[in-house]
Amino acid sequence: MKTIIYTCPYVPAELIAAHGLHPSRLMPAALRSTGPLAQIEGLCPFVHSFINEVMTGPPQADTCGVVVTTVCDQMRRAFDILIRRCDLPAFLMNVPHTWQSVAAQKMYVDELKRLSRFLIQLGGEPFLNDTLARVMLDYDAARASILAAGSYLSARQCAESIAAFGRDGPGKVLRNQTNTKPLIAGVPLAIVGGPLVKQDLDIFDIVEQSGGQITLDATESGERGLCPPFDRRRIRDDPLIELASAYFNGIPDASRRPNSELYNWLKRQLIGRAVRGIIFRRYVWCDTWHAELWRLKEWTDLPVLDIDAGGDSETHQHRMPNRIRSFLEMLS
Amino acid sequence: MPRQITLQEWDQRYEQLRKAGPHQPDYNGPLGRHVEDGDTRLLKLRYDNSAAALRLWNFLLTEEERLHRSRAEGKKLVGTMKDLGTVPVMAYSLDNIAAFYPDGAWWIPCVMESNTVLLRIADRLGIDESFCPVRAMLGAFLTGGHFPIPDLLICSVGATCDDFSAIAQRLNGLGYAILWWEIPHRRRPEPDEVEVKLPGGFQAPRCQVEFVKSELQRLKTALEELAGQRLDEKKLSAGIKKANMVRTLLAELRKLVFTAKLSPLPALEMLIAEMLAIHFCSDQNETIIVLKDLLEEVKARIKAGIGFLSPDVARIFWVNPVADLQVMNLLEDCGGRICGTEYLFTHALDTIPQDLPPTEALAQMALADPMAGSSIDRAGRICTDIRTFGAEALVISRIPGASHCALEGQVIGEIVQDKLDIPVVELEVPPFTDSMRPTLRTRLEALVETVRVRREK
Repeated sequence: MKTIIYTCPYVPAELIAAHGLHPSRLMPAALRSTGPLAQIEGLCPFVHSFINEVMTGPPQADTCGVVVTTVCDQMRRAFDILIRRCDLPAFLMNVPHTWQSVAAQKMYVDELKRLSRFLIQLGGEPFLNDTLARVMLDYDAARASILAAGSYLSARQCAESIAAFGRDGPGKVLRNQTNTKPLIAGVPLAIVGGPLVKQDLDIFDIVEQSGGQITLDATESGERGLCPPFDRRRIRDDPLIELASAYFNGIPDASRRPNSELYNWLKRQLIGRAVRGIIFRRYVWCDTWHAELWRLKEWTDLPVLDIDAGGDSETHQHRMPNRIRSFLEMLS
Repeated sequence: MPRQITLQEWDQRYEQLRKAGPHQPDYNGPLGRHVEDGDTRLLKLRYDNSAAALRLWNFLLTEEERLHRSRAEGKKLVGTMKDLGTVPVMAYSLDNIAAFYPDGAWWIPCVMESNTVLLRIADRLGIDESFCPVRAMLGAFLTGGHFPIPDLLICSVGATCDDFSAIAQRLNGLGYAILWWEIPHRRRPEPDEVEVKLPGGFQAPRCQVEFVKSELQRLKTALEELAGQRLDEKKLSAGIKKANMVRTLLAELRKLVFTAKLSPLPALEMLIAEMLAIHFCSDQNETIIVLKDLLEEVKARIKAGIGFLSPDVARIFWVNPVADLQVMNLLEDCGGRICGTEYLFTHALDTIPQDLPPTEALAQMALADPMAGSSIDRAGRICTDIRTFGAEALVISRIPGASHCALEGQVIGEIVQDKLDIPVVELEVPPFTDSMRPTLRTRLEALVETVRVRREK
C-alpha cells in the first residue's frame, strides 16, 4: 500500500486511509543538523529534521507523497524547499489559524476536499462515505484504547503507542504492549509543547527515574494532538463534516488565534490528573511555543521547567536530565 | 546641490529655510528636537538636504503627536497589525477613524538606541532577543509612551510570520482585545478552479478571494460599529481612490529614483517614503503632499542632471527592510545605490483595481501580499522588478528572529541566480549594527566589487 507521510495533527489520517492509502505520521528519530539541508541560523530544529528526513528518504520505501500544513510558518516555507529539492509530490494544506468563524471552518473542509484530489492523483481511490465512516470508527476505537491504556502502561509506552498509531494506523495499536513492571506512582507531571522526536521519549524515562511520572502528555505528538471522539450519529449523516469538525475544533494548539482553547483544555487536564509541575518542551526558534512559556507561567500556579532544544548538541543532552532531576527534587 | 548632511548641518540649514520664508507645515521644525526626545540614532544618520526630505522626516517623527491629536479631535484610533496595507485603506475611508501600525514600533529600538525600555519590557514578558525586533511593540503597549492605545486592534494571521503572530497573542493574553482575521496562504489555482489574476501579477483561486472578502466583511462591520457610520461602497471606493493617489505617486517616485542615471534621492529617504504607503503615517492627505514634494524635488534634480554618488556605482536590489536605518547610508558608503526594493509590502505599492467592487479589489490586494504566498512566487516578482529597474546585484537582508527569514533567503537567492545570473548576498541586520559594521561593510564592498568586475568582462 502506498504511504503518505505528514506530521501535523490537523491532517486527518482517516481521510488518507479512506482513499486506500497508508497515512504515516512522521516522527523524526532525532534532531539532526546534518543532511541535504544544511544548518541554517533561525530554523526550528524540528522543521529542519523533518525536511532532512523527507529529503533523505522517509522510513517507508513505498512513500508516494508528503503533506505539510500552514500551522507553522517555517513548515509552510519548508514546502518551498521540498517542492524545489525533493522528487516526492508534496501538498500544502491551508489550516486556518482563526477558528471561531464559519468561513474558517468551511475553508478547512474545502482543504480536505482538495487534499482528497491530491490523494487521487497519487493513485488513491475516490473515498466513499461508508468507507470513511468505517475508517473513522476504527481510528476512534484505537484512540480510545490508547487513552485507556494509560492506566496500565508507563508514560513512555503510552507515548510510543501514540507514535505507533500515527505511524502505522489502528491495526497494530497496543499489540504486544504489556507492562511487565508495576507502575510506580511518582510526582505527577505534565509535558507541554510542540511535537517531540523519538529521542525525546527518553524524557519520560528520565522523569520516572527521578521520581516523577508524566500523567499528561500535552505535546503535539502526544495526547493533545489526538482528535476527540467522533459523534457516531453525525458520522452517519456526513462523515467528512464530522471528521473536519473533530479535527479542526477538537485539537487545541498554541497556533490558534485566539489560543484560549489551549488553556481551557490544559486547565481541565491539569486538574483532572492532579498535576504538580509542568515540563515545557520547546524548540529554539519556535516562536509560537516560546511566546507561550511566560504566559503559561503567569497563568498557572504550578512550577514550570523550560527545556529548550536547540539541535543535536551534546551539552543539551547532558544538561536536560540534571535539570529534570532538580525540578523533581524541588517538587518532592 | 543635493548633498547628504548630518543632523547638526540640518539644524543650521533649517534656520536658513525658515528665514527664507516658504510655508512650513505645523509639524516641521529642526530635526535635532527629536534627539531631545531620545531619538539619538538620528545623530548618526546622513540625510538628504532638500526641504522635501526635511518634511518627510518630520512627518515620520511626529506620528505619535498626530495620533494624540486625532484622538483629542474625537477620532477613533485603530491599530492595524501585520497586513501591511489593506485594513488602513478601509479605516481611512471613514472620516472619523485614524489607523496606524503598532508594528512600526520595530524601529524604536534603532531610533532610540539604548534610550528605551521597550526591549527590556519584552524580555520581562518572555519575548527575548530570539524574536524579531517587532517585540518592541509589546513594550510600547505597556508603557503607552509611543502611541496611544487604540480603540480597536485588528491583526491578520494565517499566512504571516509566527514571531509576530506569537507576540500579538502574547499581547492578547495580557488583556488587549484583538480582532483576528485570516489571510490564507496564497496558492496557485488548480486546473478545475477559477483563476483570479491579482494586482502585481500573482494568481489565486476564486475561492480564496471569496474567503478574504468574507473576512474583510467582518472587519468592515467592526469598523462601522466603532465609527458609528456605514462604510458603504461609495466611501470605500473613494478610500481606494485616495490610497491609489499615494501608490501612484510612490510608483512614479520609485521608477524615477531607481532608474535615473544619477541617484536623485538617497536610499534612506526612499525607504521612509515607501513605508508611507502602508498606513499613511496616520494622515493620508499629508502623505500625498509629502510625496508630491519629494517627487517634485526628484524631477527637478533629474532635469538638472544632479544627484548623489557617481553614475557608475553598483545598482543594488534590496529585499526586506533593515532594522537599523544606518545600513542604508552604509550601502552608499560602500559604492552601491538602491535600484529596486521589496520591503515585504509590494502589494501596498501596486494600484488597487478601481474597476472592481471595492471589497473584491481589497481582497485581491490582501492576497497579493508577497508574504502570504510562497517564496518562489516572491522570487518571481523580485526577478521581474530587478529587470525593470536594471539592478545588478541582490541583497537579501535578514531580520533577526523573523520566522520567514530562515528559509526564504535560500529560495529567493537560488531563483534569482538561476534566472538572472547576478550576485546575491544574504546578511543579517539587527537594530544596532555598530559592533558588526566592519563585517557588513566588508560584505557590501565585496558585492559592489563583484558587480564592477562583472561589468569589465
